[in-house]
Amino acid sequence: MLSIHDLVKVYSGPVAALQGVRLEIPPGMFGLLGPNGAGKSTLMRILAGLLEPTSGSAQLDGQEFTSDPRRVWSRLGYLPQDFGFYPNLTGEQMLEHLLALKGVESPLGTRKLVRELLERVNLAAAGKRKVKTYSGGMRQRLGIAQAIAGEPRLLIVDEPTAGLDPEERLRFYHLLAELAEGRIVLLSTHIVEDVSVLCPRFAILAQGRVVAETTPVEARALIEGAIFEGSVAKGALGELRERCHVTQSMLVEGRLRVRIWRQDGLVPPGFEPARATLEDAYLVLTHRDRVTHEGLLAGATR
Amino acid sequence: MKIARFLEIARTEFRFQTRRPLFWVLLVVLGLMAWGFSTGNLRISAGDSDVGGKRVFITSQYALAFGLSVTVVLLYSFFLAVAAGMTVIRDEELKLGEVLHSTPLTPGEYVWGKFAGVSATFTLALGADLALRAFFNHALKTPASAEFVGPFSIWSYVRPALWIAVPTLLFLGGASFLLGAWTRKPILVFALPTILLLACIFFLWSWNPSWLSPSVDNLLMLLDPAGLRWLEHTWLQVDRGAEFYNTQPLGIDAAFAASRLALAGLGLASIGVASRRLARELRGAVRVRASSRKAELELPRPTRAPGTGSLAELRMSSRTRGLLAGVAEVARAELRELRHQPGLYLFVPLILLQTISISLVRVGAFDTPLLSTSGTLAVGGMNTLTLLLGLLLLFYTVESLERENARGLFSIYYATPVRTAAVLFGKALANSLVGVVILAAAWIACGIVLLVQGKVGMQLSPFLLVWGLCLLPTLVAWNSFVTLLYALGRNRYTTYALALGVLIFTGWMQARGHMNWVGNWNLWGALVWSDMGSFELGRGALVLNRLLYLSIAVACIALAVRVFPRRSFDAAQTLRRLQPRALALSTLRFSPFLIVPLGLGIALYSAVDDGFQGGRYEKLAKDYWRKNIATWKDAPKPAIVAAVVDLTLEPERGFLHTRGEYTLMNDTGRPLESFPVTKGAHYRNVHWTLGGAEYTPEDRAGLEIFTPEAPLAPGGTLQLGFELEGVFPEGSTKNGGGTENFVLPSGVVLTSFGPEFVPVVGYLDSVGVDADNKSDPKVWRRDWYEGVTKSGFGNNLPQTTKITIHAPEEYTLNSVGTLTSDTVEQGIRTSVWESDHPVNFFNVVAGKWTVKRGKGTAIYYHPGHEYNVDEMLACLDGARLHYSEWFYPYPWNELKLSEFPGLAGYAQGFPTNITFSESIGFLTNSDPKASAAFMVTAHESAHQWWGNILEPGEGPGGDILSEGMAHFSTILLTGEMRGERERIELCKRFEEKYGDGRQVDSEKPMVELDGSRPGDRVVLYEKGGMVAWMMLNQVGRANMLRGCQEFIRRFEKGPDHPVLQDFTPVIREYAPDQRAYDAFVEQWYHHVVVPEYKLEDVTRAPVSADGGWDVELTLRNTGTGTMPVEVCAFRGERFPDEPDSSKSRSTAPSDSNVVAAAEESAGAKGVPAAYRESRASVTLGAGESQKVVIHCEFEPQQVSVDPDALVLQLRRKLALFKF
Repeated sequence: MLSIHDLVKVYSGPVAALQGVRLEIPPGMFGLLGPNGAGKSTLMRILAGLLEPTSGSAQLDGQEFTSDPRRVWSRLGYLPQDFGFYPNLTGEQMLEHLLALKGVESPLGTRKLVRELLERVNLAAAGKRKVKTYSGGMRQRLGIAQAIAGEPRLLIVDEPTAGLDPEERLRFYHLLAELAEGRIVLLSTHIVEDVSVLCPRFAILAQGRVVAETTPVEARALIEGAIFEGSVAKGALGELRERCHVTQSMLVEGRLRVRIWRQDGLVPPGFEPARATLEDAYLVLTHRDRVTHEGLLAGATR
Repeated sequence: MKIARFLEIARTEFRFQTRRPLFWVLLVVLGLMAWGFSTGNLRISAGDSDVGGKRVFITSQYALAFGLSVTVVLLYSFFLAVAAGMTVIRDEELKLGEVLHSTPLTPGEYVWGKFAGVSATFTLALGADLALRAFFNHALKTPASAEFVGPFSIWSYVRPALWIAVPTLLFLGGASFLLGAWTRKPILVFALPTILLLACIFFLWSWNPSWLSPSVDNLLMLLDPAGLRWLEHTWLQVDRGAEFYNTQPLGIDAAFAASRLALAGLGLASIGVASRRLARELRGAVRVRASSRKAELELPRPTRAPGTGSLAELRMSSRTRGLLAGVAEVARAELRELRHQPGLYLFVPLILLQTISISLVRVGAFDTPLLSTSGTLAVGGMNTLTLLLGLLLLFYTVESLERENARGLFSIYYATPVRTAAVLFGKALANSLVGVVILAAAWIACGIVLLVQGKVGMQLSPFLLVWGLCLLPTLVAWNSFVTLLYALGRNRYTTYALALGVLIFTGWMQARGHMNWVGNWNLWGALVWSDMGSFELGRGALVLNRLLYLSIAVACIALAVRVFPRRSFDAAQTLRRLQPRALALSTLRFSPFLIVPLGLGIALYSAVDDGFQGGRYEKLAKDYWRKNIATWKDAPKPAIVAAVVDLTLEPERGFLHTRGEYTLMNDTGRPLESFPVTKGAHYRNVHWTLGGAEYTPEDRAGLEIFTPEAPLAPGGTLQLGFELEGVFPEGSTKNGGGTENFVLPSGVVLTSFGPEFVPVVGYLDSVGVDADNKSDPKVWRRDWYEGVTKSGFGNNLPQTTKITIHAPEEYTLNSVGTLTSDTVEQGIRTSVWESDHPVNFFNVVAGKWTVKRGKGTAIYYHPGHEYNVDEMLACLDGARLHYSEWFYPYPWNELKLSEFPGLAGYAQGFPTNITFSESIGFLTNSDPKASAAFMVTAHESAHQWWGNILEPGEGPGGDILSEGMAHFSTILLTGEMRGERERIELCKRFEEKYGDGRQVDSEKPMVELDGSRPGDRVVLYEKGGMVAWMMLNQVGRANMLRGCQEFIRRFEKGPDHPVLQDFTPVIREYAPDQRAYDAFVEQWYHHVVVPEYKLEDVTRAPVSADGGWDVELTLRNTGTGTMPVEVCAFRGERFPDEPDSSKSRSTAPSDSNVVAAAEESAGAKGVPAAYRESRASVTLGAGESQKVVIHCEFEPQQVSVDPDALVLQLRRKLALFKF
């Protein structure tokens, strides 16, 4: 269990990046959704022991580690949002080095293990190339390989699918799903689909606060029956936003299709009830200042 | 280019540069330097040092140009390289480049804007520098500084800045920018100023061998980016006097002006190249970027379905690795990265080149080249290696620590369980291995040096001792310190600035003489090597020093591990940690790491302070001076007429015990009520007797006052007995280095000049005098030398000596006189030396030697130092023979020369017992052309006559009879034994040394020379020797030698001791033309004159009548003095490198004022047929010129002035013309 207690992080400025985050994360996949600047990466970096919090603490299986991050490093797999490698090492050398630093061992031997891990991320063919010749996607896969190496009790992946093509994204989903068995995998993302596919539970972070902690099913259920979809003229969208909570608007075959959240069912003409998606729920929950239904929040947050 | 965008980039860069710590550290350092310069400690070495004498203003254009040229290379270059070279790299690391270049901003606007921003920053810095200098010089002018601070003139600051500093800065900025933009390698950017610094210090500013042709010299002047070589060689090397420097604007010649403009243009062109390069890069035309895309496209497709198989199949597990395993892993990866650092391949050859070249250009006494041994190479390379490896480790350590940040690996890397200590140690280990590889390469290079030298074998132990035990701790400590700086500052630029600041501060402390063993972390100047014994002097302090800095290294690393920015600290938490209680607790927890260095530091400081160069001795010396100067300076004292000394030596512990008795005679002509005796500060258990009875003298701070019961009558004698013991020298040195006299296991050197092993009768003027209480030299009456003149060396009458020395049997024990007994009992050797002819002073020297004997001569030397012994022995034999013929028959039985450890680089000619440091003669690199060992032996041997048989008087013109005449004797003996070619070369070397070392404003006529002024030394030795040589040519060789013989005969027994004014009348008696002689003496001894000849309008034309050639020229004497001088037109090589060419013709000087009469001397005896010459003689006064026609029966190739080096002159190299 990963327990996060009242984590606060204030940067000079002052900017409050985290304002008392509390979470209890059980083994398995756990998603962390939030818009840009919500504090996700700050939280990830604190949990990875790379950033000292202003106050609060976190425990992994009952052991507090924010005061001494060495307690978590030995049980951590971490894939940050932005990273690079030594450009003059080959992929194999780089991974071998990181495995050595992490103390990862296998009966297969380090060399074989490295090749197998690269195989898992579809990078075996480029293993002997210098990292400086890798594309962004290849570097991302090498990052994934090092993160999943070993038996990390806690795996933190920050925006892991950025830069991956659909095929690689799918492959990564499978890897994460396998890893989530028996360990805590914290997936930070703003891509709702990632959470929808992988996470039985997730939290939404906005402006440094947890605004919701729920499951995809619960989240969808919360807004089920209150989502409506219809077409509007482009010029009418602004007016509609003033009257309704627009969750999504998209162009479909040249027409502007708009989804709105309206609990009272009083919708503009032409709008039909639609099946609620997790994205709808995320967007509704993220903008809670616009939410007037207190019961919704009460049900969604603990 | 759109101006608005260009200005925006420039403004942004300027704001960035002026806000970073690097800029502010530069300003602070500049401020400190400006203050330092304003104290007048760094001045052009010209002017008169006497109170009220003319000084060169530190505000003169020349002084400021000098200061700026040095400062720009030593200081600005590093800061500018970082600022300009890192701009593009920084944007790339911040991933800003692509964003910027996706805007309408053009590469030109970007590059020129950035450069403009950096240039504006350093223009501001330069402006601040000048303003600070002006402020400290003029606004804070004190009465003390008034004599060297001139009136304020803005042009004094601006003109040197524009001509000297600005072009260098533009060049450096442009070149650094280009290097960074082109390579994107920070190390290469940092390498540039390092290379520049080394090239300047060790080559462009210092390399000036006597054979260097003026055209090459001119080229190097223009190539020197600092402009210092031009400044030195054009304006400063030959002193033009304070008046000139203080009033004249900095003279810029056309060639130099063009070179400065070209340098600035080169800097701007570099920016143009950088701009084009960036433009090509952005268009994708640059190969590196294209290849990475290509590599991706060509990525082979997997042969089987990837990603199949579960992770569980891999059966992975994790465990935290141990410290050592972590260190090894980090080091392994670092080394892989280091292999790809191009800077490494630049630094390594550079370091090797420096190490070798410095070893090759080392010179000893009289600028003689030195022979290298393993030990001298190891110690000789120490300073260079320390500096260069220190800089290399600085750059590599910082870049290594910064690497994860710069590469974006930081988050992954530092979230692994690897220990922080393993990371720091691993990186340090990898970088240290680079250092070790460089040391190994330097060792091989030293082996090659020894191999090429072909005389000395290679030994490993000195390198292990010096580089292993002394240098490596420095590198470890420096590396740890840099790591700590990085950990604290968390910024590469702050680290560079602070580390460079520490290096500069260390250098400044060393240069100012403030350094001691406690602070000397890099051992600069602290190690003195002797093949005869390793670091016997101050060994304890050296060990403590190394332990101190190793313990500091441990403390630095321990602290660095604690504060290393592996995790970004929270500001609020940091404030909490800095609260007094928390801070105290942290300090307490860290105290185990502080206790050891603190304890070692205190122990070392105490050792230094108690040592013979420390505070305790300093206070004793000052007390001696303060207590006695007024009463006892120049007080009458008796002379020693007999000395009986029984000396016991225990070299292993530096101990000596002396029991002895002086027979004193009152030679003052008046009854002597009391007299002073100086004892050594290291004396313990001192007992005195006076007239055979126990006596307790009055102790006046080390000066013992003896008052006999009845005043000692004139001519009366008295026995003064003494017994003392002590360790000499006592305690540690202050900052390493050597000492002149000592009792050490490797050798013993003791003299009666100071109270080293016997007390000195009288008050010693030099004790307790330093810069604080140094006074102007005494002004003497014009006729002061009339009557009896006291001895210049202390004792007025010759004395007999009987010196008995006891020491372990393996030592040979030498002293003055003849060995009358040498026995060994129970492992103790006892040697008795008795004077077979009276001496004026005595010494004792002991060592574990081998001896080689000649004709009434002997050389005692360290086994293994036989390289030059044959040459020295031949010289000693020749000296004894010829000097006896020329000057006076040698009165003693044997002339011997003994070697002592090179803790001091001097030689002393005590009667019968000359002592040479190993670095003089024994380790002189003597080749057939230079005969350096011969030269120093000839000089020191000559002191048996000029200094011992004839003891000069005290006062102006005294020492010149010792040192100048010894140089004169060397010229004669060189000509006699080595031939005309070497004699001419020797005279030219003396002349050049005089030209370089003289100070116009301070220089006194030789009859007034007392050795107290800057520049006096070259007048004493080189000018003194050359003028005596000119005198010989003036009066004729036989007349001069007869005069010298008569002079010595008259004065050898005293009591009147002669000075120069006594010498010239004696020679006059033998001069064939006394009017001409008087004119010669008047101008050369009673005035300061030196001719300087210039050849002008030189043409040659065939003469149809006889098939010969006429050379027409105008000879101008731009110097002073009137001398006949020969002008020679010639072709071919006069002294080609042939074994039998050393004996050549010598043309007697002509004193006739011939204009066109020429002597044609092709095919003269000993001159190769290919060489032909024709000469004319001209006599020119100061400022005079004369047309000269030289008729040649051959086609001349060159014209030279004074080809036989018969006339002392300035800048002889310029008096040469090649057709």
